[in-house]
Amino acid sequence: MTLVPRSVRPLVWVALALAVTVVVAACGGQPSGNQSQSFKGTKKVGYSAPLTGQSALYGHAVSQSLQLAADDINAKGGVNGYKIEMDIQDDGTTVPQAVSNTKNMILQDNVVALMGSVTSAQCLAESPIAKQNKVITIDATCNSWQLTMQPDIVNPYWVSIVPNTYMEGTAAGRLAAKLNVGKIFIVSPKYLFGISETNAFVAALKKANSSTQIVNDPSTWYVPFPTNPRWDSTINAIQAAKPDLVYSNIFAADQINFIKQALAVDPQFFVKYPMTTLVSVDELNSLGSQYPEGMHAYMRAPFFALQTNNARLTDFISRYRAKYNNEYPSDWAVMDYDAFMLWAQAANAAKSFDADQVIKQVSGHTFDSLRGYKITIRSDELQANVGETTGTTTSSGGTYPFPVLKDVTNLKGDDLLMPLQMVNEIKGNQCDAKAGDPTTASFALCPSWKAS
Amino acid sequence: MTPGQVLLFAVGGLANAAYLFIVAAGLSLVFGALRVINMAHGSLYMIAAFVTVVIGNQLGAGLGFWGGMLVAVAVAGAIGGVVEVLVLRRVYGREHLVQLLGTYAVSLIIAGAVRIVFGANYRTIVSPIPGHLDLGGYSYASYSLFMIAAAIAIGCAVWAMLYRTSLGRNIRAAVADPDLLNATGVNVTRLYTTVFMIGAALAGLGGSIVAPSQAVGSSIDTDVLVLAFAISVIGGLGSIVGSAVGALIVGMVISFGLVIPATNPFALAFVFIIMTAVLIVRPRGLFGLPES
Repeated sequence: MTLVPRSVRPLVWVALALAVTVVVAACGGQPSGNQSQSFKGTKKVGYSAPLTGQSALYGHAVSQSLQLAADDINAKGGVNGYKIEMDIQDDGTTVPQAVSNTKNMILQDNVVALMGSVTSAQCLAESPIAKQNKVITIDATCNSWQLTMQPDIVNPYWVSIVPNTYMEGTAAGRLAAKLNVGKIFIVSPKYLFGISETNAFVAALKKANSSTQIVNDPSTWYVPFPTNPRWDSTINAIQAAKPDLVYSNIFAADQINFIKQALAVDPQFFVKYPMTTLVSVDELNSLGSQYPEGMHAYMRAPFFALQTNNARLTDFISRYRAKYNNEYPSDWAVMDYDAFMLWAQAANAAKSFDADQVIKQVSGHTFDSLRGYKITIRSDELQANVGETTGTTTSSGGTYPFPVLKDVTNLKGDDLLMPLQMVNEIKGNQCDAKAGDPTTASFALCPSWKAS
Repeated sequence: MTPGQVLLFAVGGLANAAYLFIVAAGLSLVFGALRVINMAHGSLYMIAAFVTVVIGNQLGAGLGFWGGMLVAVAVAGAIGGVVEVLVLRRVYGREHLVQLLGTYAVSLIIAGAVRIVFGANYRTIVSPIPGHLDLGGYSYASYSLFMIAAAIAIGCAVWAMLYRTSLGRNIRAAVADPDLLNATGVNVTRLYTTVFMIGAALAGLGGSIVAPSQAVGSSIDTDVLVLAFAISVIGGLGSIVGSAVGALIVGMVISFGLVIPATNPFALAFVFIIMTAVLIVRPRGLFGLPES
């Protein structure tokens, strides 16, 4: 007996396959938090996570860290008496899915707060939705300064606790200037983050050492993002240009592929062409001993460089490793734990989940941080004075299964923050390449920058 | 650009083309023989890459890679057989949309399973062919040259299988008239399974070969699939020669396009402009045959 008409059978199989997919995806979900507390109810905090795609590595770490943070908060009674449940949805490191997730989390799941996504392109798309629905977002990963300053983008409920591209590019520019090299080759991902950070790098570099020459044409600084996994073109362009230094802010899979393929071309590639680059524990850990020593790195929150006299971080590391298969927490894990705790502290202080009330407890306030110092949210653009760590990659001598940094400098956030006058000039449309068009804003066009 | 630099970028383009062709060869074979657009092709490639890295690292650098490759190709082929029997056998002859949905569902299942089994971390394996060649002041990775040679060997092997073996004769006969072939006593159902398993094994071979040159993560399936489809469309879905030419065009466009300032902003877009132009002017691709 045929129960299903033959013509429908293929669709049945497709439906069956989709159902299995849903089950498989559900099995990969995170465990719920502490069940023993008595709560008024449950509130959700949303995070559109790149659990797949180019930045899957980061999404994995952040998701784990946020879950740990939620568990920690729930163990202490939750927020305003409510148990907090993480609402983590995979966006595949794509903008459309991040937008869809954000809408779902706000409109269907009624999240009381959001944690910022990984890429600036995603955050740029998410911010207006969060703003329209008055949902506070604590951002610890995407970091383009435009997100908190550019007049057409500014969201009064968007808080950045990650060094923004101005701060980070400035740190990298100063780091490169110290090396006193003549010719620099630039490689950067072609989207808001890469362009914003590279511009800050070049500006800081030129300010510190005006004789430095950028050897590749500005139109070739950028590579498509997400990138073709083959990096032959860039590697060969570097060989052809023979720079003294390569500056890069490519990250995650792109950086790993680039390094692997460059080392295959020549094991001495990064000796011939030293590199100043954005790095996180994730890239170091992925390549392990293959990660070249001698790289001039700038990092956002490497746990191994921030542990000295930092019992809170040490405790976090041990609990994170115990909970997550002995993994070391990446920079993203450290920063997003801070992000969640900052929100929880502010919401508790506000005795409310209302974004207007919570933001009052954030703006201008000071918070503890895993990074070993207190961070203050400057009220002018809701940017935290978080620092950046620079150093040179070297073997950890067996302490970790990946390289660490030597000659470490933990730059202070206050020394990297954009001067307040510039912030106000940008917000006042005084830095636009086309007058009145904020999308053309560049800090290098600000009157105060030119004057300096 | 000096002649040495032209050679440098040309070899880079060839390496890129080889990478894409290795992946696209199985895709083309499956479409050519079965008229199925296999959206799960990248998934089989990804599984093989993971298996190669895991087993290769267990067995140790160097020889371990080759052991990993053997297992990975077998695993990909076996999974391909299961997918063909459970899913594809039920959608042959249906419209392409049903096939697309079916194989897309398979790709989602595999993606979820890979995340659970292998985790989110990138995995890497040391190149089994270290070293480099210095020529004219520039260095060329030995492994890239190996990939170029492997792509040529795979292309020749697939062509020889199709045009110099009884299996290939049956495949071509099945494309022309499966009912007539069935009437001659050839088990066409089994033939289709065999072809799909070969296509899956080719995807697996691609994943294995590419693994030492890049980070193996749960997104490498989609990374490659878009460009692999683009070269298949340019060259002609189902044509091995077309895939080779398509890969060559795409590899060179990317390699030279990205380093020339005037073309850099459009280098990747130009691939899809070419694809669109081919679809408009010659919808079956440069070397593809019209659908009967």
